[in-house]
Amino acid sequence: MDLSVLERVKWLQQQQMVSPEFFEILGSDGREELKRVESYLGNNNDEWQSFRHYETIDGCISRTSSFQMEQVKNNEENRATALQHKRKTEGKTEKIENKKNKKIKTEDETESSMKGKSNMSNSETSSEIQKRDYIHVRARRGEATDRHSLAERARREKLSKKMKCLQDIVPGCNKVTGKAGMLDEIINYVQSLQQQVEFLSMKLSVLNPELDYHINELSTKQFQACFTDLPEAVSKQSMMVDASSFPLQHQESLDYSVINSIQTTTLGSKDQTSSGWEIHSQSLYNNLRTDSDSSFFSLK
Amino acid sequence: MASAYNPIYTDVPEKDVFALHFLQTLSNLRTQNSFSSPDNKTSDRVKKIKKAAYVSMARAAGATNRLWSRSLLHQAAKRNNKNVRFLRRKRRVTWLMRRRSNRGDPIEDVAAERLRNLVPGGGGMETSKLMEETAHYIKCLSMQVKVMQCLVDGLSPK
Repeated sequence: MDLSVLERVKWLQQQQMVSPEFFEILGSDGREELKRVESYLGNNNDEWQSFRHYETIDGCISRTSSFQMEQVKNNEENRATALQHKRKTEGKTEKIENKKNKKIKTEDETESSMKGKSNMSNSETSSEIQKRDYIHVRARRGEATDRHSLAERARREKLSKKMKCLQDIVPGCNKVTGKAGMLDEIINYVQSLQQQVEFLSMKLSVLNPELDYHINELSTKQFQACFTDLPEAVSKQSMMVDASSFPLQHQESLDYSVINSIQTTTLGSKDQTSSGWEIHSQSLYNNLRTDSDSSFFSLK
Repeated sequence: MASAYNPIYTDVPEKDVFALHFLQTLSNLRTQNSFSSPDNKTSDRVKKIKKAAYVSMARAAGATNRLWSRSLLHQAAKRNNKNVRFLRRKRRVTWLMRRRSNRGDPIEDVAAERLRNLVPGGGGMETSKLMEETAHYIKCLSMQVKVMQCLVDGLSPK
């Protein structure tokens, strides 16, 4: 898209005359403005070339170049306000129903926006030219020229971008189109995930009661050992990993150093009271590592 | 995990981290239960395990980096009447409320409200930020579900 606009403008540059069709369509006002465009193009060829090296050129050359809030803030704001002055002086444009005019309009827009950008960094003389060019830029067809609506539009586009990312994450979102349907899908997905957590925690609570009987035996051993220790009488079904004082009630911020030490000791612990449990824990860890996507999601 | 280009920064640690945290919190849960009277009704135990799951998920996913995890931990701490020690950004309530009253898209707002109720910490966020948090939250939730599923599979009688 960017390239095509560049190409188009170059083409305009090269052509000394705009084809007569355009004049018919635009009417008398358009003719004057276009002439101004051409003259400006002829004068500031060099400036045009230098634009290519600006990073934010992508921001300039696009249909929505008028107001992109995501990039360089100050410059953009200046440019935006400049653009708005342009538009306000023009007022609402005549509604011309022709594709070609759309093209020209965008070209005008982009040009003036480009020039706006250059003028930020250049001298006053160019600003005069800029003022001249301000006038011929038209507002986008069928849309209001307020600052607020532009901001709205930018915000909406940001939102839609993020919705697209969400679409990738949430499976099954591709079929539904439109914001409402997608949002409903996302909400359902989050709800289903939370229900799965609850269901699994219920299952775990059922599986774990036998552990409680073993806890009393372990109490002294737990606090003596500084790395993961293994309870002797643990059955195959129960499993326990002792962490060094990480109480649930103290919601401290995450302490990665502690975690790392624990991790190393779990994997390389020397003291074994029952090797069977070690093997079992290792196998469980391997289970966790190598387990592919569980069948839960296929049950959906 | 292949990382495609995403404007939302959602990188979630691997299963191991989640597993480790979950097991730790579970073990702590058990040690606490042994010291208090172990008169466990099923519902209490379920609630505790669920809470442990969420807390461990919040910790594993980078506790302080994400809004939802922060608010989750804060809620959990509040229930235990303990002071949360990590830094908390001041909520710019007035600015946000003003913006929200201006927003007019009804379809989007209704759904966004529902989403806010689901995702922890959603009340204080703007819609675009809400989307980011939702994405990260979904990834972490799915990871946590996988971990729990593996545990259940490992522990269930064969």
